[in-house]
Amino acid sequence: MTRLRRWRKRLMEFLFPAETDKWLAVLRIGLGLQVTVYALFLKSDWHYLFAGTGKGLVSRELGEAIISFDSPFIPKLGWLVAVGGYVNMGEETVLSVAWACLLVAGCCLLLGLFCRAAAIVGWFVHLCAAQSGGLLSYGADNFMTMGLFYLMLSPLPDRFSLDYRLVKTKPKDPQLLGFWRRVLQVHLCLVYFFGGLGKSLGSGWWDGSNLWRSLTRPPFDIISADILIRFKYLLPILGISIVLIELGYVFFIWMKKTRFIWLVCIVGMHIAIGLTMGMYLFALVMIVLNLAAFGADPGFAERSSRKIRQKFERSKQTQYRCLA
Amino acid sequence: MISKRIYAAWFVVHFFLITAVCFAGIFSVVAEGKTMLPSALDKYARKAELIAASVLWKEAAAASPVRQGIATYLHAAGSQSGYTFFAPNVPGYNKLTLELYYQDGRVEYESPRVSGKAAALRLDSLLNRLADNRYEPIREVVVKMLAFSVWREHPGVKKIRAIFGSVTPPSISDFEQGKKESFQPLFSYDFSLRNEEKEPTTR
Repeated sequence: MTRLRRWRKRLMEFLFPAETDKWLAVLRIGLGLQVTVYALFLKSDWHYLFAGTGKGLVSRELGEAIISFDSPFIPKLGWLVAVGGYVNMGEETVLSVAWACLLVAGCCLLLGLFCRAAAIVGWFVHLCAAQSGGLLSYGADNFMTMGLFYLMLSPLPDRFSLDYRLVKTKPKDPQLLGFWRRVLQVHLCLVYFFGGLGKSLGSGWWDGSNLWRSLTRPPFDIISADILIRFKYLLPILGISIVLIELGYVFFIWMKKTRFIWLVCIVGMHIAIGLTMGMYLFALVMIVLNLAAFGADPGFAERSSRKIRQKFERSKQTQYRCLA
Repeated sequence: MISKRIYAAWFVVHFFLITAVCFAGIFSVVAEGKTMLPSALDKYARKAELIAASVLWKEAAAASPVRQGIATYLHAAGSQSGYTFFAPNVPGYNKLTLELYYQDGRVEYESPRVSGKAAALRLDSLLNRLADNRYEPIREVVVKMLAFSVWREHPGVKKIRAIFGSVTPPSISDFEQGKKESFQPLFSYDFSLRNEEKEPTTR
């Protein structure tokens, strides 16, 4: 076998490990919760944030005009408003319907009902809102879009969903399940590696001053500075730990021996971000993505990929026999 | 096997684009000269950022279908920006104070507000963007809209002066010495609704 062939074989083995759909269930339920919480958190401000010129905080049209410089084909709420106009629906009604769609999509994902349709609707409406409110968006929006994008492309429904129980669908290819999990895993590695690299270049992460700044600046100042100052000797250690955890993620999350500890560290870091800075949506989406990528059955693929493949082949054969 | 090859090809293209976005983000951070790296590297980082941007077709004409296609795809995948959150350092925050001048000579102070905590994070994000030089062309328009959102709740106001500035919180040692945060005004605008008059002034 030539070196090129060997290399290609290895790549294919890396890209298509056999996996169960447990991770997909974690991703679906987690993102369902995320979308539901997102919709509920923004309920009181939804119209105010996304209303047109002169009705809200800033004009939705302005955000959409800015995003159109990148590409006019990026989905936006303005499209939905325009479509609503054809059936005599006012802007306010369209925005309310969009919010309701998001909430329903989130609940359906939680339950596993109409999984694929719910994932597509959730992704599309959230993308529209994130792009129309581009001036108001932050990191959590990008990660939500990313998670929903992968979820809608993944082989849904998983066997823990209501869809699977109501309509007995054919078993999903374990290698395809493995492929989409790999995509999520590799993406998270890039996220943390570049996040850690960026932080490592700033002196403030090595002496703890960045942690002090991020915890004392509004609107993240949940913990009083007077309390925080008592732990000032801990700040440099925590700052360095954050950099090392993020930079080390790309290496240690793949090793069987260190995977669990790294996962605990990264999830702990996000829980701390959520609780001490009030970034609940950001924390939740990162925890969900991490648990789906490396949490559900860590190391399972390595242990029993052959078993899963054999099981899949057997169930496929049984189905064909039943059909015959 | 064919479908596997298609998936594998998509994987390579997908992560090639995302890696280019990430590199563009890192090089941009270095080029701004805010890192611990020697300043001599700044110009090289700027060049590298441009290379990463050209990989993403950002140097092409705005109407280029490839550029638009890549941008649409990256936005749809939630990967249009790098992951350099709070990097290399955590900056100060920005504040918009609105001075409301009433007919009877009263003056009140307000700030744009939202009701929920989740929306407050978004407002903070908007104010931080306004301080960025890239948003300079739309700064006045956005401030005007924010001022107008407050105006709607105070219809008796004759004029609004919007003062935008950056706030530098005290360092740990400054805080221990009892020092407070400092406000540095960056620019201000005067808005008058009744006679449709607007007098922007920059400080």
